[in-house]
Amino acid sequence: MEAIREQVRLPFSVAFEVVMQGIRIRFGRSLVTATGVVLGVAFLMSILSGQVIRQGVSHEAQLRTETKRMFSFLTAEMGPPKDQVIGVLQVGPLNEAEVRLIRTLKERGAKAINWAQLTGQGAAPPEVARLVTGTSVEEVAAEASSLLIMGQGSLPQLDWATLLASSAQATVGATQKQEVAEVAPGVPLVSLARELKPEEIEAQALEQKRSAFRNLWMTIISLVVTFICISNSLLMSVTERFKEIGTMKCLGALSSFVRRLFLIESSLIGLVGAVAGALVGLVFAIIGYGLTFGFPLVLSSLQWGAIAFYFVPCLAAGVGLSVMAALYPASFAARMVPGTALRTNI
Amino acid sequence: MAIDTVKLEALFRKVEEQQAPCIIRAVEVEKVYRMGNEEVRALQGASVDIYKGEYLSIMGPSGSGKTTLFNMIGGLGKPTSGKVYIDQVDIAQLDYNELAWLRCRKVGYIFQTYNLIQVMTCLENVTLPMAFAGMDAEDARDKGIAILQMVGLGDRILHKPGELSGGQQQRCAIARALANSPDIILADEPTANLDTHTGEEIIELLSRLKEELGVTIVSATHDLKMLKRSDRILWIEDGRIVRMAHPSEIDFSVGDFD
Ligand SMILES: Nc1ncnc2c1ncn2[C@@H]1O[C@H](COP(=O)(O)OP(=O)(O)OP(=O)(O)O)[C@@H](O)[C@H]1O
Ligand SMILES: [Mg+2]
Repeated sequence: MEAIREQVRLPFSVAFEVVMQGIRIRFGRSLVTATGVVLGVAFLMSILSGQVIRQGVSHEAQLRTETKRMFSFLTAEMGPPKDQVIGVLQVGPLNEAEVRLIRTLKERGAKAINWAQLTGQGAAPPEVARLVTGTSVEEVAAEASSLLIMGQGSLPQLDWATLLASSAQATVGATQKQEVAEVAPGVPLVSLARELKPEEIEAQALEQKRSAFRNLWMTIISLVVTFICISNSLLMSVTERFKEIGTMKCLGALSSFVRRLFLIESSLIGLVGAVAGALVGLVFAIIGYGLTFGFPLVLSSLQWGAIAFYFVPCLAAGVGLSVMAALYPASFAARMVPGTALRTNI
Repeated sequence: MAIDTVKLEALFRKVEEQQAPCIIRAVEVEKVYRMGNEEVRALQGASVDIYKGEYLSIMGPSGSGKTTLFNMIGGLGKPTSGKVYIDQVDIAQLDYNELAWLRCRKVGYIFQTYNLIQVMTCLENVTLPMAFAGMDAEDARDKGIAILQMVGLGDRILHKPGELSGGQQQRCAIARALANSPDIILADEPTANLDTHTGEEIIELLSRLKEELGVTIVSATHDLKMLKRSDRILWIEDGRIVRMAHPSEIDFSVGDFD
């Protein structure tokens, strides 16, 4: 007669096979469970990507106002840019509004935009390279109806007289604040930069703080909703299989095998549900904000980097919560005396 | 020298006993189910020795503790007190690993409620314990089909339990119990839902397992034919074993057995 021995530990592949077979068999039910994960993660993702979209939209709107303002200040001095030559003297890194201004000038029909870098030769920054014609500092203002000093940096002493010799009555504009103070005397200079008043800065800071708090709050709430959504559907799907777990135990399954089954199954369902949920959530957020702010604005201001970044916590939440919600009841059932597990009816 | 026939007989009986060692021994097994403040004493000191290769039938009214006794002697539950030995080993001393091995290889269960996995086909239900035993999937498939054919479900191997009649489910459960060629079969009313003919076939099958392979069969039943085929009959009432008899000692015609 055979003596009692240790039960074999089945390899991972067997567990995986059993899980895949199980998912295939109860595909409909697995889909329902995954839908719970999809909903939970979609909610989280729509909140998170909504924050990104809102930030992007408000940034974009600010940028547009800023550009428009600089453009109208400039055109008030030099007239419409159509068929005009404009010189750009770059003294430091450009900000987005300056790039936009160059683009707007070009779009509005400027004949040429001469570009020169004060600090040396160097090529134009890639974002404007297509729009400008590179020249030297001496020639940048030739025939120009305006010379714009752009970029964040200090402006050294220049021979303004020679520089502006060929361009009578050119408007010299500075797009950033710090340059203005250092310009040579006698050169009429239009400041296109806008200086914020202290109370405006304060209001902005306050608004930023408020929205940071609002975002945090929304994120917490959406995490709670996601938690409930996912754990509810996974808990359901496991508890309705208590009897099955009991049966498997009676037939000689090890608890570790049962746990492994549910670990694999829940992480698969969690992963599929989380990926689908994140996409659904993103699409919903885009549609929602698109209908509010207009699709062109939303789509053009979408920060894909930040959105891709938020996929990480969404996937982590989807998989992590699914595994937790499944593994706890599964190992509880697996630890139960098998005879008792058979009787449980939940 | 004259041979003392009486002594010789005693000698032979002893040899016979050695050939049939005790495969399951329950000693003063008690089982109390607690539900809140209420206590249900399902077993109250049941002791029984079951010998290797015998066919033991268990009778008793509903609620007398038959299923509970099966659970205790099959390693599916822990007695509140008392001991259960399988092959002289106290199963309370086994770790979870050895218990799983025991449930998988040593004992085949036929549950009163079948406990088939509803989402799996007949074949998958039968091959599941083989997978737990580490058997190769191909071999398991072949063996599973052979067993299902043996219990008359050859044409239903890919059906799910929900698509089968009660009797067919019962036969599937029997097939599953045979999956890992166990030494012991614990059958909780295995013919309850079968017609006379199929029931007889199952009884025939169980008897053959016993005769040809020396499988020990313990079966709860009220089926006359089963009782007649068994080696011993045991009565259980209110969680106590009240009587043990050989079928020849019982007059089945007068309803002595209930
Ligand atoms: N898990 C449990 N929790 C509480 N009480 C239980 C449990 N299992 C069995 N019992 C009780 O123990 C007693 C014996 O039950 P058991 O299932 O062993 O009876 P049985 O002889 O198999 O009956 P039947 O012939 O109807 O199947 C019953 O009174 C039952 O209510
Ligand atoms: Mg019973």
